[in-house]
Amino acid sequence: MLTRSLKIGIVCPYSWDTPGGVQNHIRDLAEFLIAAGHEVSVLAPALDESKLPDYVVNAGKPISIPYNGAVARVLFGPVAFARVRQWISQGEFDLLHLHEPAIPSISLLACWAADGPMVGTFHAAAKRQKIIFAIGPILEPAIEKLSARIAVSEAARLTLTDHLDTDAIIIPNGIYASRYSHGQPQVKWAGNTIGFIGRFEEPRKGLSILVDALPVISRFAPDVKVFVAGPGDPGEVIESIDPQLRHRFEFLGKISEEDKADFMSSVSLYVAPNTGGESFGIILAEALAGGACVVASDIPAFDDLLGHGEFGALFESESSTELAKVVIDLLRDKEKRERLATAGKAHAQNFDWTVVAEQIYSVYEMSIVGSEKVRLASDTRPWNRFLSKEDKP
Amino acid sequence: MTRWLLAILVVIVSGWYLSFTATRLDRLHHRVETSWANLDVLLQKRAAVALEIAHSDIADPASSMLLTAAAYQARDANIQNRSQAESGLSGALGLLLEDSEHLATAADSALLTELSALTDKIRVAIAIHTDAVARTQMVRDKVVVKSFRLAGTAPLPITYEFETDVL
Repeated sequence: MLTRSLKIGIVCPYSWDTPGGVQNHIRDLAEFLIAAGHEVSVLAPALDESKLPDYVVNAGKPISIPYNGAVARVLFGPVAFARVRQWISQGEFDLLHLHEPAIPSISLLACWAADGPMVGTFHAAAKRQKIIFAIGPILEPAIEKLSARIAVSEAARLTLTDHLDTDAIIIPNGIYASRYSHGQPQVKWAGNTIGFIGRFEEPRKGLSILVDALPVISRFAPDVKVFVAGPGDPGEVIESIDPQLRHRFEFLGKISEEDKADFMSSVSLYVAPNTGGESFGIILAEALAGGACVVASDIPAFDDLLGHGEFGALFESESSTELAKVVIDLLRDKEKRERLATAGKAHAQNFDWTVVAEQIYSVYEMSIVGSEKVRLASDTRPWNRFLSKEDKP
Repeated sequence: MTRWLLAILVVIVSGWYLSFTATRLDRLHHRVETSWANLDVLLQKRAAVALEIAHSDIADPASSMLLTAAAYQARDANIQNRSQAESGLSGALGLLLEDSEHLATAADSALLTELSALTDKIRVAIAIHTDAVARTQMVRDKVVVKSFRLAGTAPLPITYEFETDVL
């Protein structure tokens, strides 16, 4: 279906060298498009230029600003603006794809500076904030320049309609489902086991809820074990666990993608007790693709991704007793676990890059129709056109 | 002296704002036109595919008749009753496709794949078009646009009430 070869410029607002969902998404998308025969250039801030893949153009060193309850490493300012303009005017792009253009970043600068076919993807899901209404009138004319808007989930779409009074097409984040579908069940992770992957030191990942639920779970399933994978120092978490239960936890550290596939196919249950701040839940899509039976908190993004319980079990967010109930019920019922895992694995195919990239490409195609290439907006203003005519020799 | 400077500044700023709004409006009008043209082309294509399906083995004679009628209606409709005609075509296609998937031969299923790819595109095209129309109507409603006649002679775009769910 990817018929015509396009020149696509993608703008990543966050520092390329810090790990994050948006960066991963852009990397996979760019690589998928390149493999499909398109020319792609990604503009992103970066700390260390030497480690960038050759399709990434460095926009400068990011600065850390507090945004939306976390620290965001972004870039803006006059120097960055000049850099963005240079990238646009030299790129001769057929289309720009801006990620998260509603936050102060090079995405917003690019949206301001460019004229032509532009697509914006909104990743974040946030609660209603007054501040957004204050800056809304400034953002509006810029956001309006996007020919099409994509939201990664229903939660992200609602945030957008709430804050900026504009609608979006929902296209989920992509995963390489085939990478997870051939995991080998490992004996060391088998049995009555619960898996957890993530930066467990962050409170919003909700490991403490699982810790609080364990005393009850272990009463009904005495041989239960919990495997926690992800980067971080487990010392503080271990401190918070009842000493009698500490031997039930095992911290694996950061695991590789291949191990992740094995992990997902081995554990009885994969638990995601996140308390919020998630707009999509890529790890759940990966867990489903790996054939795990998923138990997740009922925050909007997860509720949506799991089809309101059709592809995985949900529990009331932040309630360890509810989590314990759901986990015990599932550990006892092998049939139900298998049923959820099978339904989930089939559902995960919808998030495969082959499907997702096709949808994104459809939006590209629709945005390009009848438009010229991307130019600098200032070139199209009448007085500038007049001036530049005089400049030309 | 300062009063004069201030007055000049006000004139410059409001001049810039007017030009900025006019550019914005111009861009929106342009998008309304191009997105409609694009949607129109896609809908025409869909009608053509529907006719092809009507003449293929997928459709029984009765559905074939229904589909042909709907496709011609969609093709000939003017802008006012276009959306109704297109919804009718969607309905006719939906009826037929509901139980035809297991009957289709290889050649027919290529036709069906083409149709579903078209439907996906139409969905996006509708979203883009309705958004452009809504935005334009909103900006056209502004006092500054009305009082300075920034829209010029461009007609106010009509909302195209396409029922997305029947697609």
